[in-house]
Amino acid sequence: MSDTENKVAELLALARKGGNKGRNGGGAAARPSSGRVWPVVVLVGLGLAVWAFSSSFYTVQPEERAVVKRFGKVISINDPGLHFKLPFGVDAVQKVATERVLKQEFGFRTEDGDNERSSYSTQDFPEESLMLSGDLNIIDVEWVVQYRISDPMKYLYQQRDPDRTLRDMSESVMRRVVGNRLGSEVLTTARVAIATVAREEIQKAMADYDNGIHIVTVELQDVVPPAAVKPAFNEVNEARQERERMINEATKQANQEVPRARGEANRALSEAQGYATERVNQAKGETARFNAILTEYRSAPDVTRTRMYLETLNTVLPKVGSVLVVQEGQMGPLPLLNLRDNAAKKESAQ
Amino acid sequence: MNRLFAFTMAVIILLFVVMPSTYVIDQAEQGILVQFGEPVGDVITEPGLHWKLPYVQTVRRFDKRIMPWDGDVGQVPTLGREFILVDATARWRIADPLKFLRSVRDEAGARTRLDDIIDSVVRDIISGTDLEEIVRSADWAVDAKALSEEGVALGDVDLDKPKKGRARLEQEIRTAAAKQTPELGIELVDVRLKRINYIDSVRAQVENRMISERQSIAERFRSEGQGRSQEILGEMQRELRTIRSEAERQAAEVRGKADAEATKIYGESYGADPEFYAFLRTLESYQAMGANTTLMLGADSEFFRYLESTRKRSAPAQ
Repeated sequence: MSDTENKVAELLALARKGGNKGRNGGGAAARPSSGRVWPVVVLVGLGLAVWAFSSSFYTVQPEERAVVKRFGKVISINDPGLHFKLPFGVDAVQKVATERVLKQEFGFRTEDGDNERSSYSTQDFPEESLMLSGDLNIIDVEWVVQYRISDPMKYLYQQRDPDRTLRDMSESVMRRVVGNRLGSEVLTTARVAIATVAREEIQKAMADYDNGIHIVTVELQDVVPPAAVKPAFNEVNEARQERERMINEATKQANQEVPRARGEANRALSEAQGYATERVNQAKGETARFNAILTEYRSAPDVTRTRMYLETLNTVLPKVGSVLVVQEGQMGPLPLLNLRDNAAKKESAQ
Repeated sequence: MNRLFAFTMAVIILLFVVMPSTYVIDQAEQGILVQFGEPVGDVITEPGLHWKLPYVQTVRRFDKRIMPWDGDVGQVPTLGREFILVDATARWRIADPLKFLRSVRDEAGARTRLDDIIDSVVRDIISGTDLEEIVRSADWAVDAKALSEEGVALGDVDLDKPKKGRARLEQEIRTAAAKQTPELGIELVDVRLKRINYIDSVRAQVENRMISERQSIAERFRSEGQGRSQEILGEMQRELRTIRSEAERQAAEVRGKADAEATKIYGESYGADPEFYAFLRTLESYQAMGANTTLMLGADSEFFRYLESTRKRSAPAQ
């Protein structure tokens, strides 16, 4: 609009200038010395021709569409390429980048970094990013809205400054969506859902205004608790880790001790079984021997008894320390025993 | 000479007759012709080149697109007496340029009137509403699972569904404000609450509340860890005792059975001649006598009997 006005004003100014010159020239032409006037007219004509030529074509870049207005009224929308138009500001052209994906950032700004890495401005925009969650906690949400101008005509003529409207609506919608969730959900599980719902609602608002903006995506960036509360959130994470650590340590101890106890139990059982076998075998062996002896004994009991008795004494007596023979009716042997000597021997043996 | 004169005349006519009697209405505009300060004719909404009476009539142009309005950030108390910062935004359009021209003249005038109208409506409605109502929407639903995971009493914040919710409130604000705008020739398209935040002093309090809430959650995690740890260790002790006592029981059973079997074997075998067993066993135990033993034998014992005489005696009774 202002573009057209400028052009018209320019045209008028130039026409006036030309007119004045023409009149002056006319005045001068009444005098005999008219030879000086014509070059001026020719110069003006040449200027007009150059202007006419330069303002009668335009180029549209591949990502753009051109909206052409004649006397303020839109007459066509042109595709990329070289196009002609009426000169002298009669036709005005507005180019709109319809294929480019545009981006608005909330709560942070990407700086135009000259190196390859994009860097973020250190400045914060808390008034954009601080919002209330449904449980009335404060939460810091940063997000990006990517959009495309799908209809240049609507983009230009349905609404004044649609980008600003998009900004306002994005903030409003994001606050509504976040306000409809618990703070803890926003921080953790609900990120994707929030972005999806926000995209739909922003798109719906744009469709209601019919302003030709198509929302490509809404993406949540940093979603964090406010700076003052962050340490407390970290403490919760640490505590959660600590809980896991304690549980793991206890499990570890249990894993160490229980299998060992099982092994020990199996060992005790095996030992018992070994004992059982041994005991039964012993019994069987001993009784077998006894049975064998008994069979033989029964064939000649008296002689066998005596033999066994005597044989035993025969083996025992040489080992025995001393043998006292006691006769009935005589003095008992006790006073004769050297008990002290025995006691001393015992002590030295110990 | 004549040609030059004609050219000059043409320029003069163009400048002083044609130019003042035409005007351009842009695609984004609508216009009204004003004659001596008085609007004449209909509103011109069709863009393009139009004719008018030169010098007598002038054109007043108005944007016909939807335009943004952004209010100042205001401190408003809610029904619950919390002071919050409210930033509203609105979209409006000039619906009736004639009325618009008469009542507010231009956009700057319209903006101040809109400031008055919308700000006051927003204040009225916000101050009659609880903060929860403003923050939450009608489809508010607390995820019980998420809550139980947090497991913390959320204190004085109740988690009820709002009666109206944010969208309804915005709707009410729009309806109330839109009642006052038609007489200005303005159509209020949309009013939205852009930002709602606590004022700084309240914010500090809320942050403190959040901190204490987090700390109580952290404490719960820690004691949960201790609890679980003790539980696992207790379970371990139980298992250990079960395993050990079970093993002891089984071992004792096995030993007992073996002992019983041995006893049975001995019994069956030795029972055939208990007297002989006693004799045999006693003789065997005599073998254990060694150097420390002092053996006292009666002179009339069986062993010494032949020391006295070789006379045959009757064998001792069995």
